[in-house]
Amino acid sequence: MSDFFDDENYNDGFDEDSYQRGMNLDLWKRLLGYTLRYRFEVSMLALCAVATAIAEIAFPLITRAVIDAIATQGADIDLWFYGSLYFGFVVLLAASVASFIWFGGKIRTHVSHDIRRDGFKNLQHLSFSFYDFRPVGWLMARMTSDIERLSNILAWGLLDLIWGSTMMVGIAIAMLIMDVSMALVVLSVIPFLAWVSIYFQRRILKSAREVRKTNSKITGSFNESIMGVRTTKAFVKEAENLSNFGGLTDTMYGASVLNKIQAALYLPLVLILGSIAGGLALIFGGLEVIWGTITAGTLIAFLAYARHFFEPIQELANWFAEMQMAQASAERIISLIESEPDIKDSPEVERRIAAMHADRQPLDDGTAVAIDGYPDKIERIEFEHVGFQYNVGPKVLDDINLTIEQGQNIAIVGSTGGGKTSLVSLLCRFYEPTEGKILIDGVDYRQRSLNWLQSSLGIVLQSSHVFGGTITDNIRYGKLSATDEDVVNAAKRAGAHDLIVAMEHGYDTEVGEGGSKLSAGQKQLISFARAILADPMILVMDEATSSVDTVTEQRIQLGLAELLKGRISVVIAHRLSTIRNADRIVVIEHGRITEAGSHEELMQTPGRYHKLYTQQSLSRFSREERAWVSV
Amino acid sequence: MNDRKKALLLWHLTRGYRMVFSMAIVAMAIGYLFMFGVPLVVKFAIDAIELGDSYTAPDWLEALGALISLGPDPGMMEYLIVAALASVILTAIAGVFLYCRGRWTAIASEGIVRRLRERIYSHLEHLASNYHDKADTGDLLQRCSSDMETVRVFLAGQIIEICRAILMLLVVLPILFSLDVRMALLSLASMPVLLLFAVVFFRRVKDLFLIVDESEARMTTVLQENLTGIRVVRAFARQDFEIEKFATKNADFRNHNQRLIGLLGMYYGASDLICLGQIGALLVVGAIWAIDGSLSIGTLFAFLTYEGMIIWPIRHMGRVLTDSGKAIVSMGRIAEVLAEPIESQNEYDPGTRLEGRIEVSNLHFEFEPGRPVLNDVSFTIEPGQTLALLGPPGSGKSTIAQLLMRLYDYERGSIKLDGHELSGLSRKYVRSQISIVLQEAFLYSATILGNLKVGRIDATPDEVLKATRDACIHESIEGFPRGYESMVGERGVTLSGGQRQRIALARALLKRPPILILDDALSAVDTDTESQILAALSANREQQTTIIVAHRLSTVMHADKILVLHEGQVVQEGDHQELSGREGIYRNLCELQGAIQDQIEADITGSKLATPSW
Repeated sequence: MSDFFDDENYNDGFDEDSYQRGMNLDLWKRLLGYTLRYRFEVSMLALCAVATAIAEIAFPLITRAVIDAIATQGADIDLWFYGSLYFGFVVLLAASVASFIWFGGKIRTHVSHDIRRDGFKNLQHLSFSFYDFRPVGWLMARMTSDIERLSNILAWGLLDLIWGSTMMVGIAIAMLIMDVSMALVVLSVIPFLAWVSIYFQRRILKSAREVRKTNSKITGSFNESIMGVRTTKAFVKEAENLSNFGGLTDTMYGASVLNKIQAALYLPLVLILGSIAGGLALIFGGLEVIWGTITAGTLIAFLAYARHFFEPIQELANWFAEMQMAQASAERIISLIESEPDIKDSPEVERRIAAMHADRQPLDDGTAVAIDGYPDKIERIEFEHVGFQYNVGPKVLDDINLTIEQGQNIAIVGSTGGGKTSLVSLLCRFYEPTEGKILIDGVDYRQRSLNWLQSSLGIVLQSSHVFGGTITDNIRYGKLSATDEDVVNAAKRAGAHDLIVAMEHGYDTEVGEGGSKLSAGQKQLISFARAILADPMILVMDEATSSVDTVTEQRIQLGLAELLKGRISVVIAHRLSTIRNADRIVVIEHGRITEAGSHEELMQTPGRYHKLYTQQSLSRFSREERAWVSV
Repeated sequence: MNDRKKALLLWHLTRGYRMVFSMAIVAMAIGYLFMFGVPLVVKFAIDAIELGDSYTAPDWLEALGALISLGPDPGMMEYLIVAALASVILTAIAGVFLYCRGRWTAIASEGIVRRLRERIYSHLEHLASNYHDKADTGDLLQRCSSDMETVRVFLAGQIIEICRAILMLLVVLPILFSLDVRMALLSLASMPVLLLFAVVFFRRVKDLFLIVDESEARMTTVLQENLTGIRVVRAFARQDFEIEKFATKNADFRNHNQRLIGLLGMYYGASDLICLGQIGALLVVGAIWAIDGSLSIGTLFAFLTYEGMIIWPIRHMGRVLTDSGKAIVSMGRIAEVLAEPIESQNEYDPGTRLEGRIEVSNLHFEFEPGRPVLNDVSFTIEPGQTLALLGPPGSGKSTIAQLLMRLYDYERGSIKLDGHELSGLSRKYVRSQISIVLQEAFLYSATILGNLKVGRIDATPDEVLKATRDACIHESIEGFPRGYESMVGERGVTLSGGQRQRIALARALLKRPPILILDDALSAVDTDTESQILAALSANREQQTTIIVAHRLSTVMHADKILVLHEGQVVQEGDHQELSGREGIYRNLCELQGAIQDQIEADITGSKLATPSW
């Protein structure tokens, strides 16, 4: 539903109206850089646009010559000459129309491709804090409709600019050469036309956006009525929903009719202005013909030019209005492409990475060297007085001290909103601490390569995200170089193998967009297999609570145990078995660690954990479901 | 459903707008009549200029000229002013009619579409549940949005374009033939070729349009998946892989699109060649006839102008006709939805509040013939009692709840509410008496308060507060930046599954129904909170009959009556006391629960309450 976030439909702080007046040329210059990369195509486009304009200017001149020749030469006129000349220009025009569409199309598609490529690249590196305030739908609208819109301006707008200005200058010159005073008479209408065009185009575009905006709301409303049909029935909301929807269709009706009425007013006005120009040409030209200062052919050419002059003005006015309207899109796209990630390698780390040789020698003790020059291993992670807050929010973590040794399994428990997720996000360096520091083997992790750290991590999230494609593709995501055999082995260890082979196409089963064809449990098992295949030094996991069927639940338990085996693992734990089997349990409440220790240790203190456990709150998870197996 | 029926259905929708639509077409015809007068005026002016002093004006023109020059002997100057004024006035009159055309077309087409939208919306809301079970949501949505848009463009644009082309020809042909038959025939020579070329071309590129759309969709899908899964991408440091994957789709889209635009370029180039060639032929042949004196310069001018006016709409016709074909398909798709039967309406509505007695006897139900979902189920609940339905997935628990809501209709057996047979009661009445909370809680994209008030529109703040407190969601809501005014969904606060379920519960409680059904409604709520909610519910128990569907033992233990379902049949019935004392599924569950209990007790006795050591 990307159009839900289209343009002004989403209030993201960009004030459209402030762009109405004046244009930020710098912005367009930067975007124009994308067009100018295609130097050859742009030159050809310009050439064809000029050729088209010249051909269009030539036709009335030929008509004029023919008519004058008839009057003066009568039967002696060389029609073959004029005929060939005319058809020569026809061929030129047709050829240049075909080619400017070809070159324009090339620029149009390549520019949108390039902007999108750069935007995508940058999105891959922007920090999560960037994503926190930008919903996926919003980003989608930027990456699709905004880019299409801008590349239209950057290709076709440019074409029309070249064609239109050549056309106007050419016609003006032709008229001035033929007869200065008549030319001035015809041209006197132009300012009115320009003003009318800009006035209306702006309003027409504005109401057209209102239409689009309402249209996407209507689509949203349809979507809601389909998705929520049971809720609507259950609360007998049919009549109320329909009356709300009626409000939307009324707005839509009003906006579309307004839009069309504006267009219906604009067109006759242009026609009338045109006929005024033609009428003036007829009076003055007619008199001049009678006085003998110009010929009848010239008069006819003037009448034709008076009509032709109007097209480029309408086109240019349209583009001008469109550019003003698209200014906000341009700004958002530029900011998307040029945003710097908050979290990235420091210049010093970059220097070190650059200085490393491709054929790094292992250290004396046999440990491999990471790309940033430090040993490629993680033996100890330390949180030292770590505090954290999102942008401008309250502190979500405060004075966290925690040491995790190689091979340890840490379970994090605590109530929702207590800071569990923030803690693991810091560990993964999706965010960085705002106070204190996190050390990896004694080195502040800001001194290490971001890519190295994140490549050493395995993360399994509560809502396991899988990508469209086959099951094999998804498991292989953990290690791209893995053979099919490796994939199968990982699936076996995760306990997903039986389930996968039971499917119709086995490992080649298409999972659907976002894994829509899989159940929550199946997605979870596949994400386990993916993480096992990646074989990370640190495993971070947000355990899911969703209720799944009994057989899957058992598989998940077994897969999980396999996954955690022998590595540093930090699990936001919900399942009793995970918690009990952890080497250490950390209880987080209100951003602070309130208790930590093994299950046995914690049970000896009358703290939060003791309370949770004795109230059976924890023990209820999912155990009961196994009963159905034993039935 | 045949095409005639579909056409009829849509014809009915135009009721009330047919007059406006016809007026628009008449206005257009008149408008073009005046517009086509302008070249004629200019033609006469040019012919007069050519004749110069030897021109003798007709009496009426002389009178007009005299009026302008304020003198008895008008000259060429006055005649030219008359011509110029005439052409401006003709254009202005044409302009007024064309404005009317625009206005009336807009009113008619947008009005029809508005009606169609409202009709399909209301139809969707009233379609039977089993239609929605089977329907593909994406496809249905497409029918309501993009198919609707195709129809709208057809009504507002294409149909008018077609009328315009026909009217133009109808108006211009008599003029052309009356001016000069030879030239008229010549100026029409290329039209069939042009039309045929356009139609054939757009038929051929139809597939390419589809390919472009598909490649764009693939590109968008990769983008969407990447953005939704950005955390997984980072988690495996797969940025380069993703960039590569996106690059192929992005380039595919670019290449297909470029090819399409290139082909369109060929089309426009070629059709320009035909159109301008036609005008050129007219010019050259016209010149020959002008030389031999059989054609005046003014007439040649008029032909050139008319040709320029009619040939471009004809060129456009190829595209319009192809698009109209699509519109007819779209109309059919919309009509298909409208032809689906809706739920039966208007059964008996007692108009009073139910007490909440439910009697189910010998109930059978199947979605597909031969695969019973419920098999001979019977039970009774008294007002104020709590009934729990327990069983593994697929045992028929939720189906009972849905049958009670009249989302489906049973055929064998009987369900009675306060003694009324359910199938004889109006659906709206039944649903107004029952509140249901589903596992997949659906919230509207409105504020949280707006969502709560779906339960009861005129609820007071105190009542809302009571409901949210009972559902243990008040504090979470207060914690959002805009509290109860926060928007739900992607544009507002993101709610967890448990929060959604609790808001849905509060909404249901606000309705204060005689019967409350929780259909696995607390599955995503942590157990701590769950027990608080259940306690709040049992404090209000006198107000309503409650049915709880669950597969956790802890949820159902305190019910007055527990039904254990297995494969559509009731295998055990009784309260916790009775059932735990009897051999069977329930006892097995209790024993497992007991084992856990023992473990906990062992842990507690083992604890020595020492000082923290970490």
